Amino acid sequence: MTDATAPIGAGQGSLIQQDSRTAKRNAAEKRFKMYGLAAVCVGIAMLIMLVTSILSNGVSAFFQTTIQIMVELPEEKLDKSGVRDPEVMAKVTTFGYAPLLRDGLQKTLEDNGIETELSAKDAADLISDESVAQLRRYVLANPELIGQTIPVEVLASGRIDGFYKGRVTYESAELDSNVSPEQLDLAEALKGADLLKTGFNWRFFTAPDASVTRPEAAGLGVAIIGSFYMMLIVLCLALPIGVAASIYLEEFAPQNRFTDLIEVNISNLAAVPSIVFGILGLAIFINFAGLPQSAPIVGGLVLTLMTLPTIIIATRASLKSVPPSIRDAALGLGASKMQAVFHHVLPLAMPGILTGTIIGLAQALGETAPLLLIGMVAFVREYPAGPPEGLFDPATALPVQIFNFTQRSDPAFVERASGAIIVLLLFLLIMNLTAIFLRRRFERRW
Amino acid sequence: MNDMRLTERAVGTQTTKITARAVQVFYGDNHAIKDVDVDIADKTVTAFIGPSGCGKSTFLRCINRMNDTISVARVEGDILIDGEDIYDKRVDPVQLRAKVGMVFQKPNPFPKSIYDNVAYGPRIHGLARDKADLDEIVERSLRRAALWDEAKDRLGEPGTGLSGGQQQRLCIARAVATSPEVLLMDEPCSALDPIATAQVEELIDELRQNYSVVIVTHSMQQAARVSQRTAFFHLGNLVEYGETGKIFTSPEDPRTESYISGRIG
Ligand SMILES: Nc1ncnc2c1ncn2[C@@H]1O[C@H](COP(=O)(O)OP(=O)(O)OP(=O)(O)O)[C@@H](O)[C@H]1O
Ligand SMILES: [Mg+2]
Repeated sequence: MTDATAPIGAGQGSLIQQDSRTAKRNAAEKRFKMYGLAAVCVGIAMLIMLVTSILSNGVSAFFQTTIQIMVELPEEKLDKSGVRDPEVMAKVTTFGYAPLLRDGLQKTLEDNGIETELSAKDAADLISDESVAQLRRYVLANPELIGQTIPVEVLASGRIDGFYKGRVTYESAELDSNVSPEQLDLAEALKGADLLKTGFNWRFFTAPDASVTRPEAAGLGVAIIGSFYMMLIVLCLALPIGVAASIYLEEFAPQNRFTDLIEVNISNLAAVPSIVFGILGLAIFINFAGLPQSAPIVGGLVLTLMTLPTIIIATRASLKSVPPSIRDAALGLGASKMQAVFHHVLPLAMPGILTGTIIGLAQALGETAPLLLIGMVAFVREYPAGPPEGLFDPATALPVQIFNFTQRSDPAFVERASGAIIVLLLFLLIMNLTAIFLRRRFERRW
Repeated sequence: MNDMRLTERAVGTQTTKITARAVQVFYGDNHAIKDVDVDIADKTVTAFIGPSGCGKSTFLRCINRMNDTISVARVEGDILIDGEDIYDKRVDPVQLRAKVGMVFQKPNPFPKSIYDNVAYGPRIHGLARDKADLDEIVERSLRRAALWDEAKDRLGEPGTGLSGGQQQRLCIARAVATSPEVLLMDEPCSALDPIATAQVEELIDELRQNYSVVIVTHSMQQAARVSQRTAFFHLGNLVEYGETGKIFTSPEDPRTESYISGRIG
């Protein structure tokens, strides 16, 4: 319009030469692509930073230093009665077993010709305190071993373990009241004799939590079981309730003020901070209904409440995205509303529903705040029983366990916490991959 | 005049299948069908013609109560099929729709196999005793919809993978598979080539032996070819209804006249 001689129509002029409008449009497009690319790059960089920091801190949690020693199990100390009855033998506490390990270590050192200036007690500090309890449990479970000398693989103490993971050095040992350079020398000597090894830490996945002074023994066993139980409860409750509610709201409910109100409230619920659900759980499930504290059942119920809105919103969205012509087709053939929904709409909405459910589950798996309020933060060493009774036994959950680890002062727990984060992320990754797989599996082409 | 009396008599011998009295349809505030009275005869093809947006589909959907699924739609007046008011409280629309089949304006096959598309109706209504029975219904329906030759080797493939015209014929096959008493067809040939159109018209003519067929079409020639009676809708009003030959040769209303001669619509 500014140039009177310019052709008026958009499609006029040479095709070889870009007109200024096209050039401008292309430039805008290019700029937009650059912004997008930059955003993606920032995201990836953040992700890489996060993953490397967690991996560099946490991978060592999957390895554990152990010491191989020969331990004598004298009858006069462990089972004076001689009847090998575990109940009677249980009278001997860990105080009775501690000297056995100490003597065993001394004997092992002698047998292998390793000399040390350390006292027997200082030398025994190389061994984790947890090992005494382990030995006791082992003997109580296998009374026939009494009287024999058996090889035992004991956990090295946290500092020795840290020495082989680069956390403890000779310099830091000088300043550390928990470990001395001489002890490190002894550890090196044991390693030289092939008695001290660093191997894969299966116990990290199976062992329960350990006290603050025994990071080397802390594991995720109880937390994994607790999280698994809670996921089970969430899946069994939230999926059917959520899908049923969505189908009702989307396909059957009349459109009126009341359903509008419900809809608004569901959206609001999805945005309620999770800690509020924790307070609700505490008030209703524990104080009012009288369910036990720290139990996966309560955690599962709270997480179900929290996950429901997510599942309902995702399910309704995927039901909505099924073209109405499909419903018309089924209804037009004389199918009832329910037949139309269950034969045609639901199968088409399935990928979306499953994705929403798994995202909800993943969210629940990583949720910490509400679980703190219902007592899942407790220190639990006993494995919960199998379901269904186990749902009422005290347990912890993975994210709470991570929180717990980070609360402790021993630097070895940083490693455990990062290791637990890796485990949690792996679970989340598996769940998301399942979601993608299911979506691919159920997706139908139009 | 003489001619008209003859045809009136010819139609008059047939029983009335559908009776509509003072039917009004509102979409919210939009008054889409205004006071329509019509008698649709049994074993007859009735064509609805009229410009786009005049309410043909809307009126068609009243006959099998598909308007129930549109929350803003409100239907008033009486529609009787075989003397029974289909908007009676006791009438189950599900049962009604098994009796009054419909082919929609836009082809809407299920994203399932061709076979399952056709077999769905007979399955939910328990029309087939066994697999062989069902196979036979599927084959017959596909043959009637002129789709058998193209589809017989790919019955297991998704119906949504067919071309637009094939999908339309699949929807016709699906509708006839349940053997409804009334078949409502909303522009069933809009995406078909002349050969398939001829086949579908043949089918419509064949269906007339047993059923009452109502067809919406934008093609005057088609209305003239297949229908015995024609209704002309304009802006929600039923302007003229009568014997097809008469509507096309000597319409009474000036609006009908200008529509069929191509001046409105
Ligand atoms: N689902 C709906 N909601 C609201 N208004 C509608 C709906 N369907 C149709 N209408 C309105 O009703 C009127 C009639 O529509 P209808 O679909 O019956 O026209 P038609 O005669 O079938 O037209 P065409 O020949 O283009 O198919 C139109 O004004 C349209 O806007
Ligand atoms: Mg229409």
